[in-house]
Amino acid sequence: MRTTTRRLQWILFYLTTGLILFDASTVGAVPVFSRKYQTSCQTCHTIFPKLNPFGQAFRFNGYRMPGETPEQVKEPPVSLGSEAYERMWPEMVFPSDLPSNVPFALNTKMENIYSSSLDESGHQIVHNDFQFPQEVNLFSAGTLGKTFGFFGELTWEERPDGGSDTEIEHARLDVISPFGPDHAVNFRIGKLAPNLYDGFQEMWLMTDNGIDTLFAYNPIGFRGGTGLSEEGGGVSLPQEARAIEMYGVLSHRLLYVVGVDQPIGEGGPNDTFGRNSRKDLYARVDYKIGGMGLDGDTKGIKLPPENWRENSLRLGILDYTGDGANVRFDITDEEGNAFKMEDRRYNRIGLFASWYFGDLNVFGVALHGTDKLDLLDNETLARIDENKRSYDTWFVQADYVIRPPFQFSARYENLRLADPTVPSIRTLNANFSLLIRANVKAMLEYHRDLRQSQNYTLATVLRFAL
Amino acid sequence: MRRILCGALLVLLAAALTAGDLHGKVACKGVRDSSDAVVSIAAIPGKTFPAPKEHAKIDQANLVFHPHVLPVLAGTTVDFLNSDAQLHNVFTPDACADKFNLGTWPKGEIRSYQFKRECVATLLCKVHPEMEAFVVAVATPHFAVTKADGSYRISEVPDGVYTVKVWHPKLKGTQKSVTVVGSSQADFEIAR
Repeated sequence: MRTTTRRLQWILFYLTTGLILFDASTVGAVPVFSRKYQTSCQTCHTIFPKLNPFGQAFRFNGYRMPGETPEQVKEPPVSLGSEAYERMWPEMVFPSDLPSNVPFALNTKMENIYSSSLDESGHQIVHNDFQFPQEVNLFSAGTLGKTFGFFGELTWEERPDGGSDTEIEHARLDVISPFGPDHAVNFRIGKLAPNLYDGFQEMWLMTDNGIDTLFAYNPIGFRGGTGLSEEGGGVSLPQEARAIEMYGVLSHRLLYVVGVDQPIGEGGPNDTFGRNSRKDLYARVDYKIGGMGLDGDTKGIKLPPENWRENSLRLGILDYTGDGANVRFDITDEEGNAFKMEDRRYNRIGLFASWYFGDLNVFGVALHGTDKLDLLDNETLARIDENKRSYDTWFVQADYVIRPPFQFSARYENLRLADPTVPSIRTLNANFSLLIRANVKAMLEYHRDLRQSQNYTLATVLRFAL
Repeated sequence: MRRILCGALLVLLAAALTAGDLHGKVACKGVRDSSDAVVSIAAIPGKTFPAPKEHAKIDQANLVFHPHVLPVLAGTTVDFLNSDAQLHNVFTPDACADKFNLGTWPKGEIRSYQFKRECVATLLCKVHPEMEAFVVAVATPHFAVTKADGSYRISEVPDGVYTVKVWHPKLKGTQKSVTVVGSSQADFEIAR
């Protein structure tokens, strides 16, 4: 009984610590496009970074406006060859163009975090930290001629211990409609946020905290996963992937995504580099009923003037599968004996739904994960045991526009862990956002472990984009 | 017969002499240039002007209202055309124009609103918050918008003494009494 209680306390401490470590979410507003089109952030965002339906279509369209005309680009690009050179190919280089100004944008986040958690002995630990700044994101994005686009994000993040991390969060090249009908076939290559997560990817969430029970669950453990990931642990789904992806929108309403990416590594979501020679695969299909088309189509559709509103339902099914052979994790059993573990076959299958009803957007995902875990001898790497473990996680989030500058969001997360001796994780995340200016945002966010009232964080966040 | 012709010529000449023009410059201090000021003759006691049958037009093209400032005679109907592939909206927060909201409409379609009374209506688009324009509904058909150098010309103004008003989207307006005799000049200076 005492062992169980202690383990529970450790898990709760681990959970809260993990949430604090993971709460440095990336930010997704890209003022580069405001400059290029000389348009407001609100053309594409409700409160940045959350995209409205038009912003979603703009993103799928390779950061071009649906039906864009050259006159709408207020910063005319620098020509790298006249259009007539297209006829000369392959005798001559195919023409392209460059953005007229270096397309950089900066996003800064400052945060005061008041956190409470329990230590091993059950004592409450309270921190109240000014994380000024917590992170700075340098964005670069734009188009290269008719077919190509690019997107990059470099993040400097300050750690609570005073150190800092630099990370290339995104660096990718987009190939937009190289052949076939518009929007039907597009490619992305590089380090990217897979469209597998479109609609709930951390980069576009209104909340400061990401959906850690979905992305940061560690499936590795003596009896299966026991909580959220930390350095050296596995991860349920990679937030960013080094991938080649094909996606498209058919008949304005049907989205498909297929991708191949580096397998999940042992260092968390961003450690997906050269761990084995295998590749992971992912796929998704969505259909949207009502509202603006996924490609921005509005023909015959009556939409309200408030561009965050529509009445629509979008349903999707997604799958991620891979082989983690030769990616070995260090684990211990309850007695402290050391082992290695391989996740030989992992699969995540999920359902996505997003419902817009006027000022309200409710969306969520239910995901079932399976892992074929091989337990290996720590020295000889001989296989000792083989088990198939499974976990289930789901979340539902409601975003509500009170008035355009004021928005409220609430999210409930539930994670049934693979280790049957560990209770499920249940959390609540509530956010109130105030858009002080179109590019300056303040947030008050409360995150709580619903199993232990003393595990919570209260964050005051200030973000601005330029 | 000759007398009749001479009489008619005299009448025409007199009419031409009494319908002169008002011109001049509006110096707009503190803004990039002196365009977009509306110069108009205020209501003339005892005179009314019927609303024109022809509609005035504002185009939404490349995420910009064209023109930025449109003066009209009160009672005029303005047609709002969407020339972009994206949806547009037009609404105003001003009570003098009933705080109208024309909804959203696609490329090539027009929605209209009649500015029934004198009004300065700010036009906005909820879909694209950076878009802004002004309809200035005035009491007489004698109005003009300044060019970038501040110059304006209101033609066919009968001789008389008028109150001439100047309005600008960013600057504080002004007015003064002007006597128009033939081709007359009136200059103004406005600032914040």
